[in-house]
Amino acid sequence: MAIITISRGSYYMGKAVAEKVAEKLGYPLVSRDVLLEASERFRVPEIKLVRAIHDAPGILDRLSHSKQSYIAYIRAALAERAAAEGKLVYHGLAGHLLLTGLEQVLKVRVTADMQRRVAQEMERSNIGAQKAREILLKDDLQRRRWTKALYGVDPSDSSLYDLVVRIDKITVDQAVDFICEVAGNACFQATEKCRQKARDFALACRVKAALVEEWPNIRVACHYGNVIVYPKEREAKAGKLRKRLDQVCSALEGIHNVEIHRASQPPEDAV
Amino acid sequence: MSIIIISADDRAAEGQIGGRTAEILGYGRLGPELLQEIAAKYGVEEGKLAEALEREPSLLRGMPPKKWYYYLSCIEAEVLERLAADKMVCWSLAAHLYVLGISHALRVRIISDIEQRAAALAEENGISLQRAQKILAKQQRQRVQWCQTAYGQDETDPALYDLVINLGQIDPDEAAATIAKAVGYRKFEPMTYSRKCLANLLLAAKVKTRLLETMSDIHVQSRDGRVVVTTKALKRDKQKKTLAIKELAGSVEGVDFVEVHINNDIFSEAAQSLR
Repeated sequence: MAIITISRGSYYMGKAVAEKVAEKLGYPLVSRDVLLEASERFRVPEIKLVRAIHDAPGILDRLSHSKQSYIAYIRAALAERAAAEGKLVYHGLAGHLLLTGLEQVLKVRVTADMQRRVAQEMERSNIGAQKAREILLKDDLQRRRWTKALYGVDPSDSSLYDLVVRIDKITVDQAVDFICEVAGNACFQATEKCRQKARDFALACRVKAALVEEWPNIRVACHYGNVIVYPKEREAKAGKLRKRLDQVCSALEGIHNVEIHRASQPPEDAV
Repeated sequence: MSIIIISADDRAAEGQIGGRTAEILGYGRLGPELLQEIAAKYGVEEGKLAEALEREPSLLRGMPPKKWYYYLSCIEAEVLERLAADKMVCWSLAAHLYVLGISHALRVRIISDIEQRAAALAEENGISLQRAQKILAKQQRQRVQWCQTAYGQDETDPALYDLVINLGQIDPDEAAATIAKAVGYRKFEPMTYSRKCLANLLLAAKVKTRLLETMSDIHVQSRDGRVVVTTKALKRDKQKKTLAIKELAGSVEGVDFVEVHINNDIFSEAAQSLR
């Protein structure tokens, strides 16, 4: 029992790998549907969420913090699925970053050589090699900028993943075998502590999603149903935070206590 | 019947996983112990070979670039010779940077948790965690620079490998089992063509080593016994150097034909004309 995130770029064969891993392990496959869930729950048009998870934030996004809000909505929807299902395969951009804080997550990146990717793009879009290469490089750059802007890391950095598989000499089916085998390792098996952590993580994400629009830099941690909110000093002065927090928490199940810690350093697992 | 090349940011993990993989598969081990044999064969100090693998050339440390390239070439030729025998697991000899384009070589990168390494280093040497982190960061920078100078590669680039395994959550034994499984895949079986590619690399490395013993600025390519040497020389030394290269390279077993390409050494020529 594990949560598997498969990170990929365009035409890295990651989608095919994710589908086969989910099928082989009998896990639910989550990708775009998490955007639909977030769209319905937080009443945001899906296209805005798609752009939020694909395009790097522009100057206006940085000022309005809208991208942070959309990411928080997507994260909340994904965290909830992870906590409810306990096992799933997520493929798409930044799954490994969206689920940072969960323990039993197997983070996989699938890569492929450029020639193969170009050939696939040429076939799909019926365009020349030069054009296909340009499209792919632009897409890679966009994804790199997105991850750098929102998480300060480079998605091609191997240390972000547990396993990086290159689809070249290793085929899709072999990569699937690999991932399934590694997912079966003891360290990726969910324990009761992990399940509790997943529930806490989902709660923290829900609280953050409810607050992020008004307090974009707020951080939220949850331990055994006890929620701690870490606002920035100047944001905390607004007395309405407590009121809003009470409203939010009363609507959510599983929260025992809520505290606001002003000007203290949030823990590493805060979302 | 393949070869496995393991590279890691942590030497201890590299050896542990390399050794374990060799044990599981019953393959031969090609680790830093080989340096002793190489030192004896070429009549050089083992310590110098180890230093060449770790640090860039420095006149202050008595490691001029000419010697440095020669030492690296000796290691390369000997490693390739042993890899040609198949069923080998190789680590700590920088093979991931020069065994390129060989389809039956499974190339694996192992990443260790930097925080855990820093904590272990701090405990081992009785230093603060911050100091240990600084030391590791410096080592990492030096390593990147070394790879660039020696082979013009970035060893942290995942595109160099078939598989990258992070030991943050995965146990070294599990990593070894995963590698052992991967090498069984059909694409890693040696074929006539991939063996030939390896033989070409080996011949080029042998010729390079022979030439670097007395010369510098040598680049060698080989194909089916035909060797192409590229170097630099002053206009007036061109003929003399070509003949010397042909003679030396031709004496290496397996060389049928030697082609020498000389690029004019314009900087030396300019310096001489100003004298």
